[in-house]
Amino acid sequence: MTWKQRLGSAIPYILLTILTIPVFVGYLWIIISTFSGRTYGLVPVDSQGNFGGLTLENWSFLWEDPNIWFVTLNTLLLSVLLTVGVVIISALAGYALSRISFPGRKTFLAGTLILHAFPSVTLLISIYFVLRWISNLPVLGKGLPIIGGFGYNTVGGVALVMVSLSLPLGIWLMKGFFDNVSWDMERAALIDGCSRLRVWWEIMLPSIKPGIAALSIFTFITGWGAFLIPYTFITDQEKSTLAAYLNSLMGETAPVNYSRVAAVGLFQLIPVLFFFIFTQEYLLSIFSGGSKGGT
Amino acid sequence: MTTTAVPAEPVPMRVSYRDRLRRLVSPMLFMTPAGVLTVAFFFLPVIILFGISLTNLSSSTGFKNYEWVGFENYVKIVQNPLTKLNLIATIKYVSLTLVFFNIGMALVVALLSTHISRRAGFVYRALWLLPRLTPSVVYIMMWKFIGADSPYGIMNQHVLEPLGLSTANWVAARPWLFVILTNGFIGASFGMIIFTSAIESIPRDYMIAAQVDGCNAWQRIRHVILPMMRWPLLFVVTYQTLSLLTSFEQIYLLTDGAGGTEVWALWAYHRALNNYWGNFQWGFGAALAMVLVAIGIVASVVYMRFFQFNALVQEPKIEAM
Amino acid sequence: MKVLLENLSKHFGSVVAVDGVTLDIRDSEFVAFLGPSGCGKTTTLLMVAGIYKPTTGIVKFDERVVNHLAPRDRKIGMVFQSYALYPHMTVYQNLTFPMRLSKVPKSEMEARAKEAADILGIGALMDRRPGQLSGGQQQRVALGRALAKQPDLLLFDEPLSNLDARLRLSMRGEIKRLQMELGITSIYVTHDQVEAMTMADRIAVIREGKLQAYATSDELYDQPRTLFIAGFVGNPPMNLIEVEVLQEGDSYRARRNGFDLQLSEARGHKAAGRGKVILGIRPEDVSIGDRGLRGEVYVVEPLGRDDLLDVHVGDASVHVLADPSLHLKIGDQVQLGLNVDKVQFFDPESEQSLLWA
Repeated sequence: MTWKQRLGSAIPYILLTILTIPVFVGYLWIIISTFSGRTYGLVPVDSQGNFGGLTLENWSFLWEDPNIWFVTLNTLLLSVLLTVGVVIISALAGYALSRISFPGRKTFLAGTLILHAFPSVTLLISIYFVLRWISNLPVLGKGLPIIGGFGYNTVGGVALVMVSLSLPLGIWLMKGFFDNVSWDMERAALIDGCSRLRVWWEIMLPSIKPGIAALSIFTFITGWGAFLIPYTFITDQEKSTLAAYLNSLMGETAPVNYSRVAAVGLFQLIPVLFFFIFTQEYLLSIFSGGSKGGT
Repeated sequence: MTTTAVPAEPVPMRVSYRDRLRRLVSPMLFMTPAGVLTVAFFFLPVIILFGISLTNLSSSTGFKNYEWVGFENYVKIVQNPLTKLNLIATIKYVSLTLVFFNIGMALVVALLSTHISRRAGFVYRALWLLPRLTPSVVYIMMWKFIGADSPYGIMNQHVLEPLGLSTANWVAARPWLFVILTNGFIGASFGMIIFTSAIESIPRDYMIAAQVDGCNAWQRIRHVILPMMRWPLLFVVTYQTLSLLTSFEQIYLLTDGAGGTEVWALWAYHRALNNYWGNFQWGFGAALAMVLVAIGIVASVVYMRFFQFNALVQEPKIEAM
Repeated sequence: MKVLLENLSKHFGSVVAVDGVTLDIRDSEFVAFLGPSGCGKTTTLLMVAGIYKPTTGIVKFDERVVNHLAPRDRKIGMVFQSYALYPHMTVYQNLTFPMRLSKVPKSEMEARAKEAADILGIGALMDRRPGQLSGGQQQRVALGRALAKQPDLLLFDEPLSNLDARLRLSMRGEIKRLQMELGITSIYVTHDQVEAMTMADRIAVIREGKLQAYATSDELYDQPRTLFIAGFVGNPPMNLIEVEVLQEGDSYRARRNGFDLQLSEARGHKAAGRGKVILGIRPEDVSIGDRGLRGEVYVVEPLGRDDLLDVHVGDASVHVLADPSLHLKIGDQVQLGLNVDKVQFFDPESEQSLLWA
């Protein structure tokens, strides 16, 4: 190869690296900042503005602020509820839509597709009223242990809203995965003695494990980072989710201690990065089915 | 198989009620949870939203003393001086983000990452997925710090100062730039993934033929790849337009609508659920949201016609329950 | 168990996949559904299995109408072309899955699985998963799964189509032997007429959703009732030549341009005086000799035991099985003797046989 060819084949790498810099830089900053008293750009500095000042002080929130653990558990609870809810309900409906002929099937499928591209966040106003109505139900509204209930200002309520808004994507994905399972295998299972519910549980679900894994991880990450819906429907920010907690750190305490905020941010990022590193393939595959984009 | 007419005398069949019941109950078993939630959090809210938009319901009227005002809220929207500003902001936000990132950047990254080694291409694409996975609050915080005041901000400290250029708090000074960057870096991954699979599904023979014919890389992209990407491009454009139109979380966190970045969806959110004065104008906010819902419904219907929904739906090949 | 299909039809929207099929299957009988792909034979089988609901018509097991019976309540075993094994289960779990569902006691389950595995020679594979098996082994497991549940009726949907030729041959014999030993009523769907002819007691030929014939293989071969059967059954296929049959005194002659054949009276008189008819003759019923129709060898295809010749007689093409020791070459002039007791005649319009209607 001549140097010109070499350069030619290096150009895509160079371009891609330049384009991807903001992502690198953002993550780099958050990591450096977390262990510094303060930073000038990406350089950790001490109080005189000289290089240095590395510290673990920023992580003291982990033992000094009791709210953080409450909020973390709440976020975990929300993510788990969301994941379990979305996966089970989508897998049930996705199976029926893919595999059972029943009146209204096409209508529901079309509905799912429409909802899929639907401005669901604009419904928050009326969902607020639905949640307030659920709050008035005995026990279910706000009398349940741990999740609080399914009404306004409860983790269960937020989870319920988020499950519902995630269903169009979930159902569509699950249907796509079920579509690819062999018909003969399901026929064999029916002949071997399964009911449709049993086929779903014993034969179909094990056959789409990768799809379930992808949807679970994606949904978990969505729940873990959720801001707008918990923020809107849980009134006490310090008792809601990590994202809302983090947001409240940036708003009220002036001047903002960015290094500390970064530490909380990194704390919230850890599970996301963990999943990202080990499951990129799954996550990249989730959109190729033709699905929803956030922004 | 033939398409001859239905036989004139079908043999009458015994109807078993148990069988009928099973045919009714079995799908319901699977569909009920999804059905109930869809009704409770999509259909009902749309109706409620429309209902509220016809009232003057607000935190000052409370839930008892509101009145039905007909289409007054919609008239108010038309008359409101902010309407024009926010409409322009919305169009600016959607079109710039779409052109530069959700389509432009997505296409560039997809093309570049499919022209390098598979493994490296995969790594770059995975990196571009990160912004979407990062919790929005953390993500916006990163960008705020990239643009923050000297000496803290990364742009000021590492790019502008060494070059001797003036510094500023860039998020405040250039709100639009940052609104588009933050949303763009999230939005690009959707198009990128769709475009990548489209490029990878172009038969290799076409590419080889183009190379044999002496095409350089640019000509190959221009004359072989792009013409075959018409459908994915159209799909991403329609889909992402709608998606951008109704997203406001990042703008809310970044500028909260300051500097002329109050897009329509954020406006509705502010008026109805989150404002500084604590006066929630549910009626007016609902009318604002209803405008988006209407656009959404119309767009979805058009979109389904366009992308041939019926072709996507196969009949199940099992009729037993 | 006896099976009866009565006027069975299946429509998918406006497409008629199965059109009024009526046939009976005796206890312990082995019946093949034979036809080209897309002819509705698998759809018929799936209606027997209960996977598809008949649009009209009745499926009876013994004296009982089973139309509304779920597949799991029909006591059938089925073997699929794609094997349809459960990939997340071991061979043993696959074999015992139907028994686990019907709550067979564990000891009996083990015994039955072992017995099936021993019969099929897959005893050593019990802990493997389907993904680790060859195609032939997978099909044995699938067969074992269908047998171990001790069904009243066995259904086969092109079970050998995915196997290579050698394996297909040995499995063919094995399935036939098992079916005879166990005496389980069986329906075997195939597009391969050799499979149908060698294995089945009776063959139902299906074309475009309609039952064309339901007979033993000998009858199908020697007395084809329709043009379709004549062309479909037998390999190499029957020669079909358009001729006119004329009666000249006591003798009957089949004629066309450059083609003139003396017929037997028994067969000739049924085709005479009808204008154009189609004459059918199997390649093995044509011999090369020093008398008969003059023709020119157009193509020679050596098949090993025989040479398959394409001989042009006038403007008609006649396939002939010839002895390779004759060393015939392209362009050779030959004379063809047709066995006049084996010729068939069909009406070109109705495509029905003129001999066996």
